[in-house]
Amino acid sequence: MMLAWAEIRRSSGRFLSIIGALSLITFLVLTLSALSDGLFFGSTGAVKAPSAQAYVFSEDAEGSFIRSQIPAADVEKYRQLDGIDRAGPVGVLLTSGKASSGELDVAVFGVDPESASAPQTVTKGRLPTPAENGVAAIDDSAKGVEIGSTVTVGDVPVEIVGLTSGSSYQLQPTLWTTVDTWTAMQESVRPETRGLPAYVSAIALDLSAGTTVESLRSIAGTVVLTEDQAALAIPGVEQQRSTLNSIIYTTLLVAALVVALFFALIVLEKRDLFAALKALGTSTGRLGRSVIIQAIFASVIGVILGAIASRLLGLVIPSEVPTLYLTNSLIQISVFTIVASVLGAVFSLRRIAKIDPATALGGNL
Amino acid sequence: MASNTTTADTASTGSASTEPILRVNDVTKTYGEGHTAVTAVANASLAVKEGEFVSLLGPSGSGKTTLISMIGGLLTSTSGTIELGDVDVSTLSKKDLTAFRAQRVGFVFQASNLVPFLTAKENLVYVATLRKDYDRKQASKRADELLGELGLSERIGNLPEQLSGGERQRVAIGRALMNDPDLVLVDEPTASLDTELGRQVVQLLAREVKDRGKTGIMVTHDLRMVEYTDQVFEILDGKLSAEGTGKEKAKSH
Repeated sequence: MMLAWAEIRRSSGRFLSIIGALSLITFLVLTLSALSDGLFFGSTGAVKAPSAQAYVFSEDAEGSFIRSQIPAADVEKYRQLDGIDRAGPVGVLLTSGKASSGELDVAVFGVDPESASAPQTVTKGRLPTPAENGVAAIDDSAKGVEIGSTVTVGDVPVEIVGLTSGSSYQLQPTLWTTVDTWTAMQESVRPETRGLPAYVSAIALDLSAGTTVESLRSIAGTVVLTEDQAALAIPGVEQQRSTLNSIIYTTLLVAALVVALFFALIVLEKRDLFAALKALGTSTGRLGRSVIIQAIFASVIGVILGAIASRLLGLVIPSEVPTLYLTNSLIQISVFTIVASVLGAVFSLRRIAKIDPATALGGNL
Repeated sequence: MASNTTTADTASTGSASTEPILRVNDVTKTYGEGHTAVTAVANASLAVKEGEFVSLLGPSGSGKTTLISMIGGLLTSTSGTIELGDVDVSTLSKKDLTAFRAQRVGFVFQASNLVPFLTAKENLVYVATLRKDYDRKQASKRADELLGELGLSERIGNLPEQLSGGERQRVAIGRALMNDPDLVLVDEPTASLDTELGRQVVQLLAREVKDRGKTGIMVTHDLRMVEYTDQVFEILDGKLSAEGTGKEKAKSH
């Protein structure tokens, strides 16, 4: 321990370089992870915000709200099933609307405000009541829209009566309204849907305790997906996540390689010293421990600095870029980086073990 | 086959103790096998008493490093026995050899090989931490005393890079004596020093070994340094021979 600390204290220069490299790597990984989480929650918030633990889609829709169409009567059929506490209709329309602040991309969600499909994240005002048409709550990511504003979709105007948070869909703000208002908007924007028998896009389900999606009997022509499956089925979500995750894992691998290389060089440089220390009676284990202690020290400091830098970047990053700093991701990535660094350092142990103390004598003469 | 046995009886310079503490008996070191085998040391025997400082002369490649490495527990011999006091070094396991070196042998290397990021005092204390019975306070006190006796009281807090070559070698001597070893092995201590400084360092070594009742072996190729040693051994092509006392050898040259 004496060796490890004394070297860190007295040759701090070389440790600053490895700490710098590790903090840059941590910074990169944490920022990527914040972007990944931001994208994920920005895309899937509308699925996560309601109380529902499962969603029903039509069989051929592959879990897509946009492609799915279910007869409105199926909502009642699901409500009657064993293992279902509540079932609420979900009607989805991806479109644009007009607000006083200008044109606005929105995802209209027609729901039953008192059922499993209603968002739980109202931060200001309220949701429409079940039979109340012409009003809506909107996700607070909608710029320039406040309570009291009017948003018009097609030729259907709604007054905003509440704000929800963390409930966007495919990075668009959601407009939460009744199924009737949603139907009116749908028919106004897409005239070809006029006159169809009553339908909804999906059904949100609250399952009773002990019920799982697997144990549930589905109504003919429909499939039931868990909340997470429904989130991953949103177009692009799974691809984004796997792309960013593979970048993150590759970067962690780079961290391990950087540390491995650093300690390989240090051991190479200190070969003569290590031989002399071994000759004096230092065990290989002791030398190895000092290298591992140094790796833990360098990676812990590097991770802390990188995390601080990444968090500071999060404060100044414009709100158009979806970022989300989750404590879970922070802990996970910090632990991974430290473990990767220590594994990198472990590679140099073999080199230390191979150093022959007998080479301390004789020298060059 | 004639072995180059030299016992304490024939080469002693009259030290107080009569029983040799270091006994090297018929030691051979062979590298490789079959017809490619190379014998680095052949049937070497020597004995050194407490308080004796001997030199091992020989050109490069003569086998002197191999011999001293075996005596110091850094290499195992192919045959023969090496006894230090009651310990037969040739029977120790690798792990026991590490502990043996830490507690029973002091090393002074050619290029001092001090730990560059430890101060003079810390370099001494470090070897004390290798002992099983390491005591922080005692080690600190002993390091202060040793460095004081070596004339380095003012330098205890200096890093090796802040010391002169002679001072570094004196710290290395302090380090070798730190754990109160029975045997001090010195490898070309003057290699990186000029003649006058080298002479001082060897004189100091000789004095420390005698005063503290250690057994010292110095490997050197420098004949001018042997006059401070009690016995001189010469090794040529792996064959060891006794060359009398240091003074005789130095004169004869």
